[in-house]
Amino acid sequence: MKLDTSTDPQVGYRPPGTLDIPTALERYRGPFTRRNAAHLLRRAGFGGTAGEIDALAALGTEGAVDSLLHPAQPDVAFAAYPDSVLLFDPKMRNAAAQMWWLDRMLRTQQPLVEKMTLFWHGHFATSIQKVPANLMVGQIDLFRSYALGHFHDLLLAVSQDPAMLVWLDNRYNNKLHPNENYAREVMELFSLGLGNYTEDDVKNGARAFTGWTLDKNQQFVFRPAQHDDGEKTFLGRTGNFDGGDIVSIIVSQPIHQRFICRKLLEFFVYSDPEPELVDALARTYALSGFDIAQTVGAILRSNVFYSARAYRAVPKSPIEFVVGTLRFMQVRKVPKDTVYWLQRMGQIPLAPPSVKGWDGGPTWVNTATLLARFNYVNRIVKASPPAVSAMTTMTATTTAPAPAVDLGTYAAFTPDDIVRQAGGMDVDRVMSAIARDAVQDDMTSDTRRTMIDFLESKNATLPTPLGPENYQEKIRGALALVLNLPSNQLN
Amino acid sequence: MASRRSFLSKGLGIAVLGGTIPSFLRTAAFAQPLPALGSSVDPGNVLVVIQMGGGNDGLNTIVPYSDDAYHRVRPVIGIPENGVIKIDGRIGLNPVMTGFDDLFKEGRVAIVQGVGYPNPNRSHFEATQIWETASPENPATNGWLGRYLDATTPQHNGTALDPSKIFGAVTLGDTIPTALIAQHVDVPAIGALNTFGYNTGKDATSKATAGSLYDGAKPGQSPYLALLEDTARNALHGGDALRAKIAGYKPLVDYPKDAFSQQLELAAQIIGSNLGTRIIFVSIGSFDTHAGQRVQQDKLLGFLSQGLHAFYADLAAHQLQDKVLAMTFSEFGRRVGQNASNGTDHGTAMPLFIIGGKVKGGVYGDHPSLTDLEDGDLKHAIDFRSVYATVLERWLGHDSAGIIAGTYDTVAFV
Repeated sequence: MKLDTSTDPQVGYRPPGTLDIPTALERYRGPFTRRNAAHLLRRAGFGGTAGEIDALAALGTEGAVDSLLHPAQPDVAFAAYPDSVLLFDPKMRNAAAQMWWLDRMLRTQQPLVEKMTLFWHGHFATSIQKVPANLMVGQIDLFRSYALGHFHDLLLAVSQDPAMLVWLDNRYNNKLHPNENYAREVMELFSLGLGNYTEDDVKNGARAFTGWTLDKNQQFVFRPAQHDDGEKTFLGRTGNFDGGDIVSIIVSQPIHQRFICRKLLEFFVYSDPEPELVDALARTYALSGFDIAQTVGAILRSNVFYSARAYRAVPKSPIEFVVGTLRFMQVRKVPKDTVYWLQRMGQIPLAPPSVKGWDGGPTWVNTATLLARFNYVNRIVKASPPAVSAMTTMTATTTAPAPAVDLGTYAAFTPDDIVRQAGGMDVDRVMSAIARDAVQDDMTSDTRRTMIDFLESKNATLPTPLGPENYQEKIRGALALVLNLPSNQLN
Repeated sequence: MASRRSFLSKGLGIAVLGGTIPSFLRTAAFAQPLPALGSSVDPGNVLVVIQMGGGNDGLNTIVPYSDDAYHRVRPVIGIPENGVIKIDGRIGLNPVMTGFDDLFKEGRVAIVQGVGYPNPNRSHFEATQIWETASPENPATNGWLGRYLDATTPQHNGTALDPSKIFGAVTLGDTIPTALIAQHVDVPAIGALNTFGYNTGKDATSKATAGSLYDGAKPGQSPYLALLEDTARNALHGGDALRAKIAGYKPLVDYPKDAFSQQLELAAQIIGSNLGTRIIFVSIGSFDTHAGQRVQQDKLLGFLSQGLHAFYADLAAHQLQDKVLAMTFSEFGRRVGQNASNGTDHGTAMPLFIIGGKVKGGVYGDHPSLTDLEDGDLKHAIDFRSVYATVLERWLGHDSAGIIAGTYDTVAFV
């Protein structure tokens, strides 16, 4: 058995140093600092405001993780996906579905559930390029309801999910003309990895999934007449298997346990996790009966999760970066041009580039995608509502379509909040407030000096100290620069 | 009949013609005595690599219209004889490829038939990696063009690069393809010209400060920091340099409005602006036509054909057509027969296209047999590494040894 890592771009990006394997997954018993809380909220959510981080820090490690895994309160209300009004324009339907989901990520009070929903979207990568928007929305709802459930149940539900039946063509898979697409990908990408099954397993798996199709209302239906009732040999077992049997056989493979745990560790901890760490988490996963909540909980409470190796270790995905920026700046409503910017950053929600999903890791980082991140931050942080803009001299310009005036799409976090925290306009204290709120002080002393020079216009022809005439412009400018620092590209 | 392989011999190149090729093409396509390696290669030559992502169906691109077996296994999606653009008595182009046909008749297109490799992989991801790393036997991290860049680019010594010198290879899109992953060269990804820059409106201080923040950043514990800092420096300074350089180039034809043709328009601007660019990577897709193939594939082949037609017309109007060679690739061809969904599943060998003013136009290699199959799929006749080796040696003037593992025959298309 082998776990395929040959094509994983994250290989080579394991943090330096050595890991103490025996204690890596033991419960972290050290102090739960504000930085720990911010780290947890970035990984198990989309980051947050200074106030949200303080509130989480007050709960301690156990309390904070429990609050994310088992939210006490029901979530805020969300509007349903507005399918019917947009029935005749596929582009508008797609855009509405993307905005519907981004709104949930922005406003949810159960961020880990939505973060796992995003994880499963990347894992079972299905695209609106081929699948109608209403089915995509159904699939995201499915991921959300199984987000922290049992993997076996999730895989079975995905195998019968209308969006997936369209995406990987199983709706056309019948005993006269088997279609192998789903049977191959369910093993290669969803559960086992390349090299852990044979071409015969693909053929026999496809036969087992015959007759799992859609009715005329786009609902899952099993059509016995299209099902191949013959004997199949699959992963070393023989019988008259159907799709449910295939799912059970797959999940019982030890290689599956390592496959899924490696992916969870890459998502939550760091790239290219040690094989011993993967094995250790795989034991937790198997003992839990493939329970995702218990497995993710073990990660979020562990020593390795709060270690220096895991801190700011992996690049934020564009969706994490964008939702994190909006949440931090307290934008209440997703600006209309956000999907345009996400496209420039290399991650269109509901449209992964292929069934493999997004490669992540170093592939998020190139000249084009970084510029898109910088310019999105500039656009969000520097835009002030029309009523306020008259008081400032800032001009927010983007190459994207100008957003319609909607106060909800502007940041509610303003330079006045920073001044209030700093207790005035002392440059050093203002800089401290910005650094603490935006990046938990994750900047070098050189960077801090450069930023103070910026706030004082040291390098301008007419140096001006920070004051009532320029603080709006200066503090917005400084916030944008700090959010564009290398450390804020990392989760 | 002698096996196809017997025609191949190192140094003479491959020039195998089938059927009744018009005489002007036959002359052009036969191998000429080849010059010594690199001796006649212009150092300003540019290679444009076109990825046809998803696995392009070769049999509906270069159609073996006279073969009964083709119509038998493709009763619905097969293209009838009266639908193809005939190349000879046996094969023809997909009917949407009229622009391509013009280029072919001008002798600027080489069609390389039956390209593949032994033990073909039918997974998109593995097969794409194989094509982009040119390493089917041993998984590799760096791309074949990345290795070329590493071999031909001086290792930078840690000081900031001149921002106008970072465009030796570029990819036009938001992701870096594996083919261009190198050990020590950061290839800029240019999604679009107008978004390639740090935008702060009239606020010049912010822009200057942003540049200095990344210039002064120190790598920390995350191995991603160095990557972020290098890339950010190129991003913060490269856009202005690029816009300044290419401002003088005006396209002299109207390009079609699809995304692929727009990429080619930017490619022409970059080529015409003396940025020292040798490699440009563009992509078009998805050709993964499991269902309802004709609509999707014909649309994409139309973009490919019309886009390249505009591209070469523009280059010719700037007297650049002889400096540019474009080559296509796709991770695999598709199954011989149609499936139950009027599509085709993942297959093996397929044709490649080489296009350019200096290309010896014609058809290289026989059309693969539709009845003499291997595991039910087409047998390849020409290894894709032969095509790469040819491009490296006869177009980029670089020994393929060290870039491509093993020794491969060259093909006489250039």
